[in-house]
Amino acid sequence: MTNESVPQADSPRELLAVVRDLTSQVRAAQRGTWFPLLVLAVVTLAAIPVYRFAPYLDLLDRCQSRPGHVVCPGPNPAELLYWTVALLLAYALIAAFYVRQSRRRGVGTTIRPYVLTGVALAVLATAVSVWLTLYPLLPVPADPFAAPQVEIVHAGPEVWLLNALGSPTAVIGLALLVLAWVERYRALLAYSVGYLVLVVAVGSRIIHSDSRWYFLPDLLVAALVLLLGAAVFARFRPTAQAAA
Amino acid sequence: MTTGGHPTNGLDDVVHQRVRLGILAVAHQARQVEFGFLRDTLQLTAGNLGQHLTVLEKAGLIEIEKGYEGKRPRTWVTLTAAGQTALRDEITHLKQLIHQLEHPTPADLPHPA
Repeated sequence: MTNESVPQADSPRELLAVVRDLTSQVRAAQRGTWFPLLVLAVVTLAAIPVYRFAPYLDLLDRCQSRPGHVVCPGPNPAELLYWTVALLLAYALIAAFYVRQSRRRGVGTTIRPYVLTGVALAVLATAVSVWLTLYPLLPVPADPFAAPQVEIVHAGPEVWLLNALGSPTAVIGLALLVLAWVERYRALLAYSVGYLVLVVAVGSRIIHSDSRWYFLPDLLVAALVLLLGAAVFARFRPTAQAAA
Repeated sequence: MTTGGHPTNGLDDVVHQRVRLGILAVAHQARQVEFGFLRDTLQLTAGNLGQHLTVLEKAGLIEIEKGYEGKRPRTWVTLTAAGQTALRDEITHLKQLIHQLEHPTPADLPHPA
């Protein structure tokens, strides 16, 4: 270390290169991408027992029953409650992690837009799910009370998009796009787009199943992709970051 | 600082210095940056960094806040609104200079003796 160790750079081009290089170094020091991915993977995995074992709470009084049949057109409100609370707690934990990391590394954090978007989307997803339960855009395929049987293949892309917005795994991906933007991280942007395409594709399938584990592919795919992302981003973070 | 004419006229002597420009660039991206991070990133001695920070603080381009985290003294540097403007102007002028060097007008070319 010397008194003037910043490389000699007096030409305009060199000065701009120094600014760009320093900006990149700061951005790298501000990143903590692996942590949100890990937390969201855990939240997604922890949803599995809720989906499987939580009794259906017909809070919206939408279930119809006949002897031998009960048909409920929307997700279990217990699941909605789980996702809302779990995502709010997850984003609080992520915010705390970034603030702590910021103090430890001595560089400010830009995490607020991500956390606020994540919280807003979590609340919005719950609201959309409740709305779709009250005013379903897609008929329930296995509804024996539906008369006549309605074809659902004519639903437009906006219906599928709205349906996807009600999916917690999809809103996790939408919020990750914001994280990619605040961290100015192209690798995370590519990852988030890939994740979104995957969960929307998996979540848009029409499931004909009488298994009580019918939801498993949706949650497992999302959780595994998030876990894989957490491992890869943790593995390839800069050495100085890993040590901090 | 003058803004008219040749882009060099718009360069601010306080900012147009590689270490101070570096400090402003780091503080801009970081929002708030700690003395130790600046020292390590810019690879300066504490004394030298302190001198540059004093110049920038006197010019009203940064704010320096001293405090403690636990028992450790910490010094945080924040860019002021004037600092944001100065950094943006400097970068604009540097880009104009590069453009002018790459695409000189006849008036920019040296006159024959």
